Amino acid sequence: MSFRDRLLATIRAARPVLEVPEVLVVGSEVPNLLEPEAASTLVVSQDLDIGVPVNRHASVKARLAEMMPSLTPSPEEPSVWTPRSPDLLEVNFVGIDRSRDPTDAYVLEDDQLPLLVFGALSLVTAGAEVELAGTRVRLPRPAGLLLEKLVTDRTGNKGDRDLLVALGLLMTAGPPDLDELDALYGTLRPELRHVVRSNLTVLSLLEPASGMPDPRPQRATVASLLRRLEQVEGGIG
Amino acid sequence: MTRALNQRVSEFRARVLVRSWEYRQRHHARGVWFRLRRVLAGASAAFVVSAVDAAALAAEGYRFEPISRALEPQKSILFVPAERVARIASARAIAVRLSRELLEAQYLVLTPFDA
Repeated sequence: MSFRDRLLATIRAARPVLEVPEVLVVGSEVPNLLEPEAASTLVVSQDLDIGVPVNRHASVKARLAEMMPSLTPSPEEPSVWTPRSPDLLEVNFVGIDRSRDPTDAYVLEDDQLPLLVFGALSLVTAGAEVELAGTRVRLPRPAGLLLEKLVTDRTGNKGDRDLLVALGLLMTAGPPDLDELDALYGTLRPELRHVVRSNLTVLSLLEPASGMPDPRPQRATVASLLRRLEQVEGGIG
Repeated sequence: MTRALNQRVSEFRARVLVRSWEYRQRHHARGVWFRLRRVLAGASAAFVVSAVDAAALAAEGYRFEPISRALEPQKSILFVPAERVARIASARAIAVRLSRELLEAQYLVLTPFDA
């Protein structure tokens, strides 16, 4: 079974919660889903990240039982739902709290569905809805997700892969997305703007990773974004 | 039940603290690595050249990047148009990344991306 088929089957299995208003697919599968016909050619971790706004936590909990035929909560970490079949991926629930600073993180304690809430996800807002596997899937606006990827601490192999995911988003971003990125970037405080630029320099010097697009042909695009953000920086003074 | 999640939060906050510490050092010695990456990110290609050729480029008016003097041992890093690099006999292309080869190069010529 192909990775794409497993991803779509997981979306189908998670449909009850994906249908809850404001719930988003976030994380590294987004570029896979943004590819034409969700081609899913980027090799990432085998999970589907579902972003749950904390104000929708109760609504999501109310739909969890409907996923039970296909997925079951991990005893060690119940924010992760593991597949009952090898034809599915794990589902990883993360919390979104728009009142939090991008550098903050906390645990939303709950017996049934505790959530690790990442402040950086407050940069992510709902974008396009796509029909996949009979499910209306809400994807994030590319600019916010790209900024979330660049503002988050990136270390080790996972960090490198996350930066390549950011590159995947950058490659599909259009001029309006970049304008939106400029505006969002300008709202960050200086330290976080520095982190964004620093992560872009790391991305610029990355070596190719197995199963991921070679970043080297895109170095000019990364350099262009760096210059663009430095111009925004100049405007901020 | 949420011990693993709380552990991840602790690790996340520790990384944020380290990152803030690094940010405060951005204008000091430790900030050299960001500044070096920034210079390299602006380069479409990199070449190791001889001391004689580097001196000749400087004499022609090409300026050493400030990062050149922030490393020890000091380096000579210059941005030079690709057409000029093509006439440097000693120029040997190397990959633009933080490799041992690049870090060991004492005289480094970079070509800029087209703006």
